[in-house]
Amino acid sequence: MPPPLLRVERLTKTFAGLAALQDVSFELERGGIYGLIGPNGAGKTTLLAILAGALRPTAGRVVFEERDLTGMPAFAAVRHGIVRTHQVPRPFRTLSVLDNVEVGIRFGRGKAAAEEAGPAAGSAAMRILERVGLTHHARAVAGTLSVGDQKRLELARAIAARPSLLLCDEVCSGLTAPETESVLRLLREIRQAGTTILYVEHDLKAIMAVCDRVIVMDHGQKLAEGTPAEVQRDPAVVEAYIGGEVGKGDPAGTAGAAGAGGAAGTGEA
Amino acid sequence: MGRLEGEEAPLGMTAAPAAAATAEDGGGGRSRSSRAAAAAARISPWLLGAALAALPLIGPGPNLIRLLFVTLVWVTASVAWNLLGGFGGQVSFGFAVFYGLGAYAAAVALNAGLDPVSSCLLAAGVATVASLAIGLPTFRLKGPYFAIATIGVSEAVRVVMTNVSATGGASGYRVMERGAFHQLQHFYSALGLAAGAVAISVLVRRSRLGLALVAVREDEDAAADLGVNPLRAKLLAHAIAAALTGAAGGLHARYAAYVNPQGEFAFAISVAILLMPIIGGVGTIWGPVIGACIYGLVHDEIIAAFPQLHLLIYGSLLIVIVLFEPAGIVGLLRRLVRAGDRRGRQGGRGGQEGQDGRGRAHAAAAP
Repeated sequence: MPPPLLRVERLTKTFAGLAALQDVSFELERGGIYGLIGPNGAGKTTLLAILAGALRPTAGRVVFEERDLTGMPAFAAVRHGIVRTHQVPRPFRTLSVLDNVEVGIRFGRGKAAAEEAGPAAGSAAMRILERVGLTHHARAVAGTLSVGDQKRLELARAIAARPSLLLCDEVCSGLTAPETESVLRLLREIRQAGTTILYVEHDLKAIMAVCDRVIVMDHGQKLAEGTPAEVQRDPAVVEAYIGGEVGKGDPAGTAGAAGAGGAAGTGEA
Repeated sequence: MGRLEGEEAPLGMTAAPAAAATAEDGGGGRSRSSRAAAAAARISPWLLGAALAALPLIGPGPNLIRLLFVTLVWVTASVAWNLLGGFGGQVSFGFAVFYGLGAYAAAVALNAGLDPVSSCLLAAGVATVASLAIGLPTFRLKGPYFAIATIGVSEAVRVVMTNVSATGGASGYRVMERGAFHQLQHFYSALGLAAGAVAISVLVRRSRLGLALVAVREDEDAAADLGVNPLRAKLLAHAIAAALTGAAGGLHARYAAYVNPQGEFAFAISVAILLMPIIGGVGTIWGPVIGACIYGLVHDEIIAAFPQLHLLIYGSLLIVIVLFEPAGIVGLLRRLVRAGDRRGRQGGRGGQEGQDGRGRAHAAAAP
């Protein structure tokens, strides 16, 4: 059994005495898409921020690829292979879309290769834009993109930094159904290219369609963990969080999403 | 796919690291007038430099040479400030510290018998060390808090220098250089330094550091989330800017043969160094040069004409620029060129509005 990619040990974060995270532990194996769900205030974004190095935990450890990265600043976490996207897109507004991606290429984990390649770094950025479907906007100023395209740009910049663990914060919120479908397809492709993904999302359909395993949080604690099907059956989860939603409309919804995901999967193959 | 091939063309351009000119015009081909403007923009710096270098041949009076010398010193400081303030978005009110320390360092070195070039290098070195000492604590602050901290540091340094008796305290310090005074030698050294500053500015803008600075200016946390070390980028820009400003101060001290705390460390110096790039266009290559030329050439006249009011005039100017044309004179010129384009294309095509908005958004970033 190979060591896990990421081991989170008893992570705790308190803000002025208020516990945003309490004793959260889990492990991520290489090469999966992990969902992280929970109601508002469950601590998902706090957890993501700690993993990305934007916040320092009050207690606990983050061990990544057998290395202790607890409290490491964000730019250093990137160099070890952990890259995040933002819930609300944060493009470099006056830079072109291509230059936005360029930042990821030239400062992320591939930076040594990028410097060697020199001008070829530009075509690397173009290839990434191709993957996310933004080539036609390559020269546009990032601030003028639509929200959907800005979300795509978030992903493009992040994969440009060559993460081995990609932290996605609600990449589908605010998108139309076809847009969501194409982003989910993109996530599968990223995973296929060997990147592990931790995916925070409110949209349960999206999570259930794309994730191999799901971690459920509530009130800063881990409530459950398992495959999407297991989690949905877990009485604690149903009661504490999904209760209303799953109890009523969701089984059908999930089935639909899974169907659509399956269709997309065969479409690719 | 045809679309994609169409996009291949700009690749070579954007591959140039910082890709300054990437989004210059959003989409669409460039018109004749904007191409002409671009060509003019490419040639004019060389013409200007050649004209300045050749100027002494036609024998202008010492007054004009003095004015040009001072203006070139300002150009250096203005271009330097823009590295940190324009590209990196860190507005410092403390550049008089580097100017003053450079001036004092050069003065002391010259009096100790060092040659002018070494004195100037020493001035740059002292200012660089100071920039690190000041930058490490103040860069923990962001936006207006950083600006206020730099005012505090600069006032503190001025007070300290007023009380250092080794350099004459408040009454100042005289530079005694052996040998005759060659005004043209001073002029050419200032011209060389200013040209060097512009060259460094171009290199920084195209470099990895330039990309980091602009990313930090746009969104520091997002930049860090992609692997940029914001503190490192800021400290580097601060150090390069301080070295240039210190050298400029050193040149001026040698020329004036006198330094004093109320002069070299004055808050007005800090304000001038920040005002010039803002007049010309922050975050651009040529804006700070244009702003410094205007300021250098009219400053004496304005002080002479309105001895009580000149600060009010600068203050009002600053407000007008920030409100109506944040990209300064360069932004204004770009807008004029675009307006010319539109008139030229009128009737044929529509849909220029979005492009205009894009161009303006970018005006703050491109040189």
